[in-house]
Amino acid sequence: MQTSELLQSYLVDANTWDEMHGDHAVREQYKNAVEFMQQLSVEELNKKEELAKRLFMSQGVTFTVYSSGEGIEKIFPFDIIPRIITAAEWGFIEKGIKQRLRALNLFLKDIYSSQFIIKDGVMPAEMIYSCPHYLREMHNFPVPYDIYIHISGIDLIRNNDGSFYILEDNLRTPSGVSYMLENREITKRIFPDLLPQNNVRSVTEYPTILHRNLVSLSPRQNKNPTIVLLTPGIYNSAYFEHTTLARLMGVQLVEGSDLVVDNHKVFMKTTSGLQLVDVIYRRVDDDFLDPLIFNADSRLGVAGIMSAYRKGNVAIVNAVGNGVADDKAIYTFVPAMIRYYLNEEPILKNVPTYQLGKDEEREHVFNNIHKMVIKKTNESGGYGMLMGSAATEEEITNYKAEVLQDPRQFIAQPIISLSSAPCYLDGKLQPRRIDLRPYALCGPGGIEIVPGGLTRVALREGSLIVNSSQGGGSKDTWVLAPPPPERGI
Amino acid sequence: MERTDGVLRMLKINYASSQDDVQAFSWKPVLKIFTFLNEEEANAMAHDTRAILQYMVIGKDNPNSVLNIVTLARENGRSVQDHITKEMWQCLNDFYHGVRQEALADWLQKEDPVTILDMLIKYGVLYFGTTDITMARGEGNSFINIGKYLERAIQSADILDVKFSDVNYDLGETKDTTYWKYLLLSISGYELYLKTYRGGFEARNVMEQVVLNDQFPRSVIYSINRLHRYFERVKNERNTPDFNQIDFMIGKLKSSIKFTTPDSIIEDGLHLFLNETKNSLYTIADTLNQNYFALI
Repeated sequence: MQTSELLQSYLVDANTWDEMHGDHAVREQYKNAVEFMQQLSVEELNKKEELAKRLFMSQGVTFTVYSSGEGIEKIFPFDIIPRIITAAEWGFIEKGIKQRLRALNLFLKDIYSSQFIIKDGVMPAEMIYSCPHYLREMHNFPVPYDIYIHISGIDLIRNNDGSFYILEDNLRTPSGVSYMLENREITKRIFPDLLPQNNVRSVTEYPTILHRNLVSLSPRQNKNPTIVLLTPGIYNSAYFEHTTLARLMGVQLVEGSDLVVDNHKVFMKTTSGLQLVDVIYRRVDDDFLDPLIFNADSRLGVAGIMSAYRKGNVAIVNAVGNGVADDKAIYTFVPAMIRYYLNEEPILKNVPTYQLGKDEEREHVFNNIHKMVIKKTNESGGYGMLMGSAATEEEITNYKAEVLQDPRQFIAQPIISLSSAPCYLDGKLQPRRIDLRPYALCGPGGIEIVPGGLTRVALREGSLIVNSSQGGGSKDTWVLAPPPPERGI
Repeated sequence: MERTDGVLRMLKINYASSQDDVQAFSWKPVLKIFTFLNEEEANAMAHDTRAILQYMVIGKDNPNSVLNIVTLARENGRSVQDHITKEMWQCLNDFYHGVRQEALADWLQKEDPVTILDMLIKYGVLYFGTTDITMARGEGNSFINIGKYLERAIQSADILDVKFSDVNYDLGETKDTTYWKYLLLSISGYELYLKTYRGGFEARNVMEQVVLNDQFPRSVIYSINRLHRYFERVKNERNTPDFNQIDFMIGKLKSSIKFTTPDSIIEDGLHLFLNETKNSLYTIADTLNQNYFALI
């Protein structure tokens, strides 16, 4: 009875891949979970949703909205229905991301040293030099173990035939991993026993792996290196994440003013004097890292930290200057990079992307502007973009003018319909659009991806924008373990 | 009361870890630490999470179930009502009625166990906090604490013993890290461990923290230090010989642990060491009972 009610109104948009519903039936991987949900009444589901909210509140997983001088604690919307990824799908994603990261890391090493990729004509030099995130300060500086991208959160989407596309590479300070961890904890609480029943792989190893990688980067041969997590401070929207990670790894959480550089060495101010710092996991952007070199107004960074870095006295994670590799204009070249550096065919596809810096491509985009989304190459978080399908004529005209002023700063992509997944909204399951951000960790031992990730969801009906700043929420992401061989499928 | 807290925290963390494991999770170590079940009975139950929760929390035939311990504690509290504060008595009473309520069995079967265990843990910490701020610092308070730290020291030694018996006391063996992680979580020692040791989880470090770290409130050495401190306060004119006897026993145990190193424990065998410690603690407890409470 509730069965039909729960699923009755589940109407998948035409031309969209739905994670749960395929070929007029519930997909195999969802069956178990859906059956379980169907046994619950609407009241019970509502109670679970309520419990989830309360848990987020008591864990302090909140952000503060300031209005009329008073801070109001809000939680990021969490949808209780998990998103489920099969073992086969995950195997494919994992392979694809590892390949892509290997190529991107080689690209960073190349571009900050010999620049073979330019000399061999694979990528035009002006692509690099026009990128604001390309930092000359990083030139000819061998980073420890040649690793630039220690932590990445690459965004994936699925179009209507179910194949995965890379939406963007986040190689600087990707955030959201605490939500991957917290969402899982919440699911454990609201759906007891459901996780083991479904053979879901654990994500709790993440902080342990990250910590191990950070330790291995220490420039001193010391069993107990000092590792700090550099946060921009309590007003940063990801501050909760910084405290969570610091606690889970047992490292010190510091702000720029807690550190000081002396004789090209970084020290932490403690009650018992200065303590030498070996590894800095920074969540401060490049621009604010060192007021002596970058933004001189910055109070978030530490003066002289770059010289200590270049001397090899401190390791910084992620490496400085990674922005050149996740720039939206460089993105177009990643498949070429994979072929050039690895001599392999890319496993995960790029979304076709038009450079507005090129005249003929710009023309094509302007002619088809209603089917396009235009983005600024150096912005993230869903800011500064134009959705051709939803914009008014006036907005389009204004945006075009802005583009023409500096076309290099813009790219366009055809609007890809994101896949949808069931969300529990107003007492019913309803399809909403989602993406996926798995987190990959790279250490001297290689690349490891924790089986899971952050599934962001556009909670507004019909919306394609999943960014949390634009009305998005998140879901727990399950990666199923491969079935044991003797049992078969 | 200390035991209830231990049981509940152990249940909570083991439950969480049962949700984490893809492989079949076994409750056997928990049953070994906290119940008197024999091998067969424990095996029969080891994989049924809900049955274990029922048995450990409200099992009437389990002498160590939360229900039975709290009932006993309340009975004791009732008989010494004039020595404890009214607030403490109320806490005990609330706890008792909390575990007695009929709905509990049903909740443990169907609802989210962590919510329920959290609720019960709260009754316990409320009791500890209330005792701390209301109880006069006299003899009664000292005896409460003596009992508390005796129990805690025995519990920590027990937990280590059972957990290490699973790896055959081989401290070189690296079981997968979640094994040690959940052990530490269940005795609230995880964060301290991360801050003390940087190189990941090693059995030797876990052992060192739980036995020898005097800043870790659940370590054996911390519990014995406290035990000694509270015992010294019950010294008075009349019972000097008795006092001296026990003071000597505690002092001896304390210094034997104080002057141990992880290496010497490994050399002599962890199991032997833990067993000797436990035996000394039991002897101390028995002598205390004889001399002060005229039991046995």
